[in-house]
Amino acid sequence: MRDAYIIGAGQTPFGAMPDESYRSLFTSAVAAAVSSVPNGIDDDEIDEAVVGSLGVGGRQLGLSGPAATEHAGLHGIPSSRIENACAASGYAVRQAVQAVKSGMADVAIGGGVESMTDMSSDVTKYWLGVSGETEWERLTGTTFSGVYAQMASAYMDRYDATTEHLSMVAVKNHANGAKNPKAHLGFECSLEDAVNAPVVADPLNLYHCCPTSDGGAAVLVASEDVVDQYTDDPIRVAGVGAASERVGLFQRDTYTAIPSSESAAKSAYSQAGIDPDDLDFAEVHDCFAIAELLAYEDLGFCDRGNAPSMLADGKTELDGEIPVNASGGLKSKGHPIGATGAGQVTEAFKQLSGKAGERQVEDATLGLTHNVGGSGGGAVVHVLEREVAR
Amino acid sequence: MTDAQIAAIGAYTPRLRIVAEEFEDAWGSFDAAGVEQKAVPEADEDALTMGAEAAERALDVAGYSGADVCHLAFATTSPPMAEEDLTARLANVLGVPDSVTTRTMTGSTRAGTQALDAALDAGPWGDKIGLVIVSDCPKGAPDSDVEHAAGAGSAALVVDGDGPGTVLDRTSHVDTYPGTRFRTGGDDRTTGLGVTQYDREAFTATLGGAVDALDDSLEAVDAAAVQSPDGKLPYRATAALGVDAETIAAAETVSSLGDTGAASVFIGAATAFIEGAERLLLAAYGSGAGANAMLLEGTVPVESALDGETELSYAEYLRRRGEITSDEPEGGGAYVSVPSWRRTIDQRHRLVAGRCSACGALNFPPDGACQQCTERSVTFEPVELPGTGTVEAVTTIAQGGAPPEFVEQQSKSGPFVSAVVALDGPEGTETVSVASQVLNGDRKVDIGTAVDATVRRIYSQEGVIRYGFKMQVSETRR
Repeated sequence: MRDAYIIGAGQTPFGAMPDESYRSLFTSAVAAAVSSVPNGIDDDEIDEAVVGSLGVGGRQLGLSGPAATEHAGLHGIPSSRIENACAASGYAVRQAVQAVKSGMADVAIGGGVESMTDMSSDVTKYWLGVSGETEWERLTGTTFSGVYAQMASAYMDRYDATTEHLSMVAVKNHANGAKNPKAHLGFECSLEDAVNAPVVADPLNLYHCCPTSDGGAAVLVASEDVVDQYTDDPIRVAGVGAASERVGLFQRDTYTAIPSSESAAKSAYSQAGIDPDDLDFAEVHDCFAIAELLAYEDLGFCDRGNAPSMLADGKTELDGEIPVNASGGLKSKGHPIGATGAGQVTEAFKQLSGKAGERQVEDATLGLTHNVGGSGGGAVVHVLEREVAR
Repeated sequence: MTDAQIAAIGAYTPRLRIVAEEFEDAWGSFDAAGVEQKAVPEADEDALTMGAEAAERALDVAGYSGADVCHLAFATTSPPMAEEDLTARLANVLGVPDSVTTRTMTGSTRAGTQALDAALDAGPWGDKIGLVIVSDCPKGAPDSDVEHAAGAGSAALVVDGDGPGTVLDRTSHVDTYPGTRFRTGGDDRTTGLGVTQYDREAFTATLGGAVDALDDSLEAVDAAAVQSPDGKLPYRATAALGVDAETIAAAETVSSLGDTGAASVFIGAATAFIEGAERLLLAAYGSGAGANAMLLEGTVPVESALDGETELSYAEYLRRRGEITSDEPEGGGAYVSVPSWRRTIDQRHRLVAGRCSACGALNFPPDGACQQCTERSVTFEPVELPGTGTVEAVTTIAQGGAPPEFVEQQSKSGPFVSAVVALDGPEGTETVSVASQVLNGDRKVDIGTAVDATVRRIYSQEGVIRYGFKMQVSETRR
């Protein structure tokens, strides 16, 4: 199969934007992606579109792919929606990569969008639980935060981890997000704030949970045959891994790891021919603080049980060994469900292009994005590499 | 032909209590004479779940199982659904064969004695048994004497051919007295006209009529379990019944449990048997009016859970009663259709797991590819789990955090514990994990906490109540 390259990527600000529709958000993301292509691209050079969305709020549940792309002026091309909960647009990017690698498209756009803040609190409550296992798990009254809280309880019971470690995830990601003008919650927070916040689902408090956001993101993927038209500084999709896992936590073999993340990462590393040690940075799926700790271990950044000390030692801070969530992560940058995965790839594109501003990771050459659906029913990992000498 | 006998009684009340002073503080008076405290159902309890609790205890102490039941009666004035045969659900929860004959009695507080009367007429059934479940949780308007008195509890009687309890005599009596206690169609609050003297007359005249018809003498009766809508009325019937106040007090529960409606005389009988009574009068009254009198003799074994554990404030009480709470919000909850719920009813009611035909692993629910070997074309041999288990992962969903279909529950009873529990297999160290709420009775639930199963209301959707298992901290089991 031929190689695929990221030639452009862009996102809207993430946040509460009651004046924007899911379609206007997607259109803005497409415009941002198109204008980020170094040598420019015409809309009619885009062969295919994949739009990630959970469909929060209902809205256009059927044919939401075409509904989004027609608004963005991508008229007539094959367009489809992919739904994989919070991993929807990580999978949309993967689909775009597949389209390009297979030869069915020379340029494909994979993106995502979600509008989450314009609904009543009752409707929001309904939609936030739809990715849990419905017939058994959800009928114990669990929520999204509840299932991650159950994982946190098991992790904290098994390993040397405290709620303070969970709060340190928030402090780090807010420090990074404060440097990101697109962040939903772009402010710094103190450890004291993050420890003393009100409890949501014990042991998780408000600062251990990401916000719900509006936003869109889009990524342009081009084949090795055409990449040179668009950029002199190509960023190669070095590896893509994806995996599924049982949707209900209670049916899994472990509650202290997300097996789909682990196996997605393994395939991405093996495709890219790299070890986790080779990575310069990572954007990981920190929907809840415990999820970031699990990610360090699932992605092989450290051994099982060592995530808390890795975090406490500063190894994942912006100037650490492997900066994690330089963008602010889901916690600070925000989490518009269907846009999150493509938003992570957008951050990686910016970092690898040296355009991440105040939060730029030094000499970023090899980066990873990690996007998880629900509590781990699906995961997708991309390894992206700036080709230094081509 | 031998007569049907009483083999055992199971009795149950919810663990929640409220004391009379809470009502006095709120209303300036408490209108249920002789009630000091009363039992209050938890948000996920109703007449069906309380009845199942009593039934399991009765079967257990009698040495029977649900499989032995061939006659099942359910009596209550507070059926969770006004129309629908709830004996089908009770039969499934208790593992009663589908060939069972069933009876539902309702309409007045003597529904329980009517059900027992019918069972005694029908039995005995050889080596099979009758199970009479009487369960009640009456409700009235917040400022009414009915509501002030309203308690909650259940009793279940096992009827067989050779139990230790002999029914020496039983009578029924009716006399027309409308308006003493009633509930109109579509209303869930019981009321009465409150014509004091008339109400007393209805009570004493019908009970007196029933007792007068008994052949046997009441002189040697150790205790008289008399219908107790409050703690005073039974004693006004001493003359009519021909027993003294002490004999009535020997089977009295209304002062500590409140008005347990149809279950009142049976819970009273259970406590008297526990105290060693050997000759007992049951005197049940039902508005309308009618009465049943039964004379019991023998040493009937009882298994009961009648102790209270948690005292509620009046505000907490109003939440439990649904007086100041929200229903499921607009926008709806996760939709699980009734047919799909029904397909998994054995799992939800009785924890029926399945053993994979390919690898032998226990699966819960037993559906789809095996969770262990992932083989798709397998069959699952049904395995009823014992219901004990250990918490593996746990959280408490804070107030305000419940998903829509659990808003009503949380509104009524606050934060709840949701966990992953490793359920024990039928033997050895084999386990299979399930998601479940954990009833913790204010205790902290940790990884490793021992729990066991009970059946509660899960939620109600489209007007249909869904029952299913929940785990309770084993230490709190009464």
